[in-house]
Amino acid sequence: MNPSRPNPSRRRVLGLGGGLAMSAGLGGLTACSSGPPDGAPGDPAKGDITVWSWAGPAAEMRALVPRFNKEHPGIRVTVEDIGNPAIWDKITTSMAADGAGLADVLHIGVDYLPAYTDRFPGQLADLRPLGAGTYRKAFADGLWETVSLDGSRVDALPWEANSGGFYYRADVFEKAGVDAEALETWDEVIEAGRKVKEKTGTYLLGIDKPASQQDSANVFQLLLQLQGTMYFDLDGEIMVSSPEAVRAMTLIKRMNDAGLVNDISGGWNSLISSIKSGTAAVLPWPTWFGGIIEETVPDQAGLWGVRLPPAVRPGGTNAATVNSTHLAVSGTSRHQAAAFRFVEFVLTRPRSQVGIYRNKGIAPALMAAYEDPVFHQPSEFFGGQRKGEIFLEALRSGTPAFNYTSDYARALKAVTDAQTRVLLRGADPATELRRAADQLAAQTARKVAR
Amino acid sequence: MTTSVPQTRTAPPPARTKAKRHRPRRSARRLAPYLFLLPAAALFAVFKLYPIGRSFFLSLFKSVDGVDRYVGLDNYARLMDDPLFWTALRNTGIILVVQVPLMLALATGLAVALNSALLRARPVFRLGFFLPMITGLVAYGIIFSVLLNQQYGLANWLLSLVGFGEVPWLTDPLWAQISLGLALTWHYTGYNAVILLARLQTIPAELYNAAAVDGAGTWQSFRHVTLPGLRPAILLTTVLSTIGTLQIFDEPYILTRGGPDNATLTIGVYLYQNAFQYFDFGYASAIAYVLAVLIGVLGLIQFRVLGDKS
Repeated sequence: MNPSRPNPSRRRVLGLGGGLAMSAGLGGLTACSSGPPDGAPGDPAKGDITVWSWAGPAAEMRALVPRFNKEHPGIRVTVEDIGNPAIWDKITTSMAADGAGLADVLHIGVDYLPAYTDRFPGQLADLRPLGAGTYRKAFADGLWETVSLDGSRVDALPWEANSGGFYYRADVFEKAGVDAEALETWDEVIEAGRKVKEKTGTYLLGIDKPASQQDSANVFQLLLQLQGTMYFDLDGEIMVSSPEAVRAMTLIKRMNDAGLVNDISGGWNSLISSIKSGTAAVLPWPTWFGGIIEETVPDQAGLWGVRLPPAVRPGGTNAATVNSTHLAVSGTSRHQAAAFRFVEFVLTRPRSQVGIYRNKGIAPALMAAYEDPVFHQPSEFFGGQRKGEIFLEALRSGTPAFNYTSDYARALKAVTDAQTRVLLRGADPATELRRAADQLAAQTARKVAR
Repeated sequence: MTTSVPQTRTAPPPARTKAKRHRPRRSARRLAPYLFLLPAAALFAVFKLYPIGRSFFLSLFKSVDGVDRYVGLDNYARLMDDPLFWTALRNTGIILVVQVPLMLALATGLAVALNSALLRARPVFRLGFFLPMITGLVAYGIIFSVLLNQQYGLANWLLSLVGFGEVPWLTDPLWAQISLGLALTWHYTGYNAVILLARLQTIPAELYNAAAVDGAGTWQSFRHVTLPGLRPAILLTTVLSTIGTLQIFDEPYILTRGGPDNATLTIGVYLYQNAFQYFDFGYASAIAYVLAVLIGVLGLIQFRVLGDKS
């Protein structure tokens, strides 16, 4: 995707069409060529390997290379920061071109992993023969199912395990006379939000109402996952119109109708601006976001609090692993064994993961890492709370695995469109979600779970 | 290919062998244009012809569990029942029917103004109106989305100075369509004006003098001399704008990602989503073929209506 050429629109789009047709053509060839991609384990102690990742994680992996080389002097590692979301397009086009130009190690999010394994079988190496099976019990609950869906092969090893969180402005809640720690359900959150709005003029939370970005359904997804479901059930049937989904969307509509939802359309910059200007009292974001808040408003140390999100229904759970990322090895790599050595070094050594958490706040899926004191220290920024322990409690509470399927991107689009109609036009959640489910069924030949 | 023209001229072969040598030389000469065309033709075949054929082939397949299965015209049938495809078609149609005529009228007016003898510093104005055309698309898309941000944008700040409330430029379905139209107009009007201007300068001044002698006013000479003179350029800009509009991708992709609620979803954006976000290359290829047929048909109609009346 390179839409930046200064030609007339006609030619530019023709070019795009040409590029599209090209990769589509190559995609066709991939599917027609028989046999698995011609990768090889190669020498586990030697080889040049390339790693694709983005921003913080890329920097952290690069920092680990010298220590890795002390143990494996024969393996030369190059870490490339492709950027997120650019990395997804880059992986897609390389896989469509039969693995041409693909890196040896790929950093892949839970929302993309099943799409790659389904649409491009064999483009990710099976890590089982390389020894991945040893780590079956090493990671947080639900994550092994994510990387080894049917148990016959292992597509990747888990890195981050992000639990749903609830960051709040303690000072704002105090001014409104509400105890944020005592909130047990989202119904209570809405009531608290009304008081906060009335007393301080601050919104309860922000949502990208017109869905200007792909990930504008984060709050909806959190409310779904707190009820143990997602867009598809474990058999891959469509769940976007389930009673849980309708309940989640109705909660969002109630917040919106009460004037408690600030529009944060415009992407990352809008979100950061809204944190700086303090427009919302709550940021219902996962583990990794705590570090972002600290970076964004360092002068507000002590004014923030953190807890797990309240349950959706009385007595329900407040723990949900809302997303995870993973390292995979490409199926066409000629140095799969060496690549796996690096993956092992980054993801299964507590020391590596502890360092990454300390620098970037990226929460490991590797449970052994949590024995380090860094996860048990009180945080000055969060008013002396032990943020690491709060999220560790969520990881330990046995959250279920979610099946993202290869149609997650379609489902997300259908859901965000439904949410936009609910938030901007006041449409009925049940009707809109049913429409989204029907649309998905027509597009994917999946059944709507009844 | 080794036989070059000057050589044959300076060294004519003996008459006796002439007939013998003549034949290979003539066929080599006949071959020459093809050989010169070969590199371009080969590139065209590899990078255009092959993908064009291949994507038609692909449009007859559907990927099931990573394996392409032949499904005949199923993808095309699915397209007819796909509400999002119709939404994309309708949105593209609205731009075509509303934005393109407005933009071309504006471009004609601009061309006439830029051509006026009364105008000072003409190059400055011409450059000014043409500059948007050579602005990088991503840069301009991002600048527009910053300008039009509802809470932090310059546009709303300026409006607030004169007492207007916040305009939901990109967050309301209707306003998003209007914003998209504004961005397109800003970007392409100057380009079309320059094409029209070039044609305008070929209209002989005698025609205007004759019209003036016959007592025609400004409007009448515009109506009866300028417009007929511009006809070929108007046809060209109309056809180019139609093709450009039908394939429009960059602006909605960067400004609104086709939203909110698909209000700015165009065929190009929908095609992209299906190919690169949903990995449905067969379906995306079918969309591309329907799009190509549409462009062909509309182009033909425009040539019939606007072209060749002289």
